[in-house]
Amino acid sequence: MNQKLARLFSPHSVAVVGASNNFDKLGYHVMKSLVGNYRGKIYPINPKDYKIWGLDSYASLGAISDNIDLAVIVVPAHMVPDALHLCGGKGVQGVVLITAGFREIEDPGGSVREEEIREIAAHYNLPIIGPNTFGFVNLSSGVNASFTSEFSRIEKGGVALISQSGGICHLCGFLAIEQGVAMSKLMSLGNRCNVDFPELLSYLVEEDSTTRVIALYIEGLDKPRRLLEVAESLRGKKPVIAYKAGKSEKGDSASRFHTGTLAGNHAIWKGALRQAGILEVDTAEELLDTAKAIDACPLPRGTHIAILSSQAGPGMIASDALEPAGLKLCRFSEVTQERIDQLLPPVAIRTNPVDMGPAWYNPKNIIEILKTVLGDRDTDGVIFLAMYASANLKLVEGMVEYMKSIESFQKPVIACFSAPPGVWDEPVKALDRKKGVVTLPTPERAVLAMANMWKVGFLMNRKR
Amino acid sequence: MESLLLGINALTFLEKEGFPLLKSYLAQNEKEAASRSLEIGYPVTLKISSPDMIHKTEARGIRVSLKDEIEVRHAFRELVDSFSSSYPEKWLDGIIVQKQGSGIEVIVGMLKDLQFGPVLMFGLGGVFVEAMKDVSFRLIPINASDAKDMMEELKGYDILRRSRSGPIDLPAIEDFLLQFSRFIVLHPEVKEIDINPLFISSLGSGVQICDARIKVVK
Repeated sequence: MNQKLARLFSPHSVAVVGASNNFDKLGYHVMKSLVGNYRGKIYPINPKDYKIWGLDSYASLGAISDNIDLAVIVVPAHMVPDALHLCGGKGVQGVVLITAGFREIEDPGGSVREEEIREIAAHYNLPIIGPNTFGFVNLSSGVNASFTSEFSRIEKGGVALISQSGGICHLCGFLAIEQGVAMSKLMSLGNRCNVDFPELLSYLVEEDSTTRVIALYIEGLDKPRRLLEVAESLRGKKPVIAYKAGKSEKGDSASRFHTGTLAGNHAIWKGALRQAGILEVDTAEELLDTAKAIDACPLPRGTHIAILSSQAGPGMIASDALEPAGLKLCRFSEVTQERIDQLLPPVAIRTNPVDMGPAWYNPKNIIEILKTVLGDRDTDGVIFLAMYASANLKLVEGMVEYMKSIESFQKPVIACFSAPPGVWDEPVKALDRKKGVVTLPTPERAVLAMANMWKVGFLMNRKR
Repeated sequence: MESLLLGINALTFLEKEGFPLLKSYLAQNEKEAASRSLEIGYPVTLKISSPDMIHKTEARGIRVSLKDEIEVRHAFRELVDSFSSSYPEKWLDGIIVQKQGSGIEVIVGMLKDLQFGPVLMFGLGGVFVEAMKDVSFRLIPINASDAKDMMEELKGYDILRRSRSGPIDLPAIEDFLLQFSRFIVLHPEVKEIDINPLFISSLGSGVQICDARIKVVK
């Protein structure tokens, strides 16, 4: 399965079954995602048009002489079985089945159809992502096999988001663009015909070297133990975090109609995820923040955190957030404190949380403080906060200049910069996800992500 | 066929499987209750044992902290009289004479979830369970770190850790949970168990089952 998935995600050629020039058809949007972005060969298939998106179109898969690695199918549900037979016959390696109208619908005919495609897939040993999916985006190798071309704008990185819902991918995918979360893969599994969470988890952990952290969005599974057992067997290899929906009864019944499975008792899910070494998060925001931080920073080795703030208030709220999140303020050694005292005039609090206000105009000193604190044995991670004020305009720019490598400390630094749009954008971008520094929008979110990094490491290393 | 074991039947079942129990006997008359109480040592608890009564508390079928023979005999009469007048149609096995439990009350349960299969539940007993739903779940089988983890996960973990009466036997709960998990794996015929309460005594004194309900498929 892993080899097949590797080929499916990085195909040399793609056929779009149901490709179209008509904006109102999904086949149009799948073509839009591929054309001008995908570097392999694209084969639009449509019996009516000769040219689709400027490419020669084929009447059927059989009319193509070349090998096809991936077929993206967007034809109506009743035509899907035939299309799959053609794929199997042609030796297609994998399928993305975007078409909906299977077991997720109220009409029992949907389940019958799904059973039929399951059998066809088994007969040809053909991996199918979907049905009822928007597709997948493999940012690592520049393949957007989805109906949303804009996902190609997500930066390439180490976060893989595997979702049971296309909507959640759209929520998180665009947030990722906005907030600089860099991804390797983004996909919705839809009804999970024969490619389900366990298969993907195994592939991403064992085969996909571009993925550094795996984020799951789960609604409900018929056989949850299968996922948990795979996660358990892979424990310690890569961090896995999950957002589980269906806490409320309403959410639970919505899930049945969404992807055909009841979400199940949340209290049991909570315990089972933890038991399998998967960190559960409570919001989409937390899922992305945590994944972003894990992707860019080393995991903290303990719970002792230093807070460095350019203004007192943000430092205070960050301190307040530590304890409920399971972290605490670290205690600086005498040497560390002496050095900080040299770098900061005695006009503000210089112990942890450090108010670096007096060094506003001196980015070099601010970096020195950061390095000193990172070098302290009791510091497991740093929350770094700086809010713009007209007078400290050059602060972040200066930091970029002085920030040689802090990577060697092997400790996470989560930074929060707040400034009017456009003012600090460039230098913040130059710091974000570089050298073990990651930025998040607020002090509280920075603390929560830091705590989650510690927890995910704890779960990964816990002996079974 | 599904059967529900209650009262003395549930306790006997668990004792045979090697689980630690508060010393318990079934007494048929006042005299027997008195001699069993003496054998167990005061204080004792008396409870009705009936296969037809699921909720003893609601039926006011428990008398606790009985200190001597007079109290035991009095409680025995009261329990039998009130049971037979309130529920003339229900069967009475007898009256359970049980060592008075002490320490902290917790609950341990197993249910078979449609998707997850056998699931272990652990939580604080009494009002905490009812009011706060302070329970944690793990899939069976569990290992030692799961057992520890599911205790630490409780909001009321501090109540276990910092008992006012000195340290309680946390290692014994861990062992109990592991023993329970192993037992469930070996006994697929058991569909559901609710051990409520399980008493945890001071460090070194272990845990004792006070009451249980067991659903078995034959």
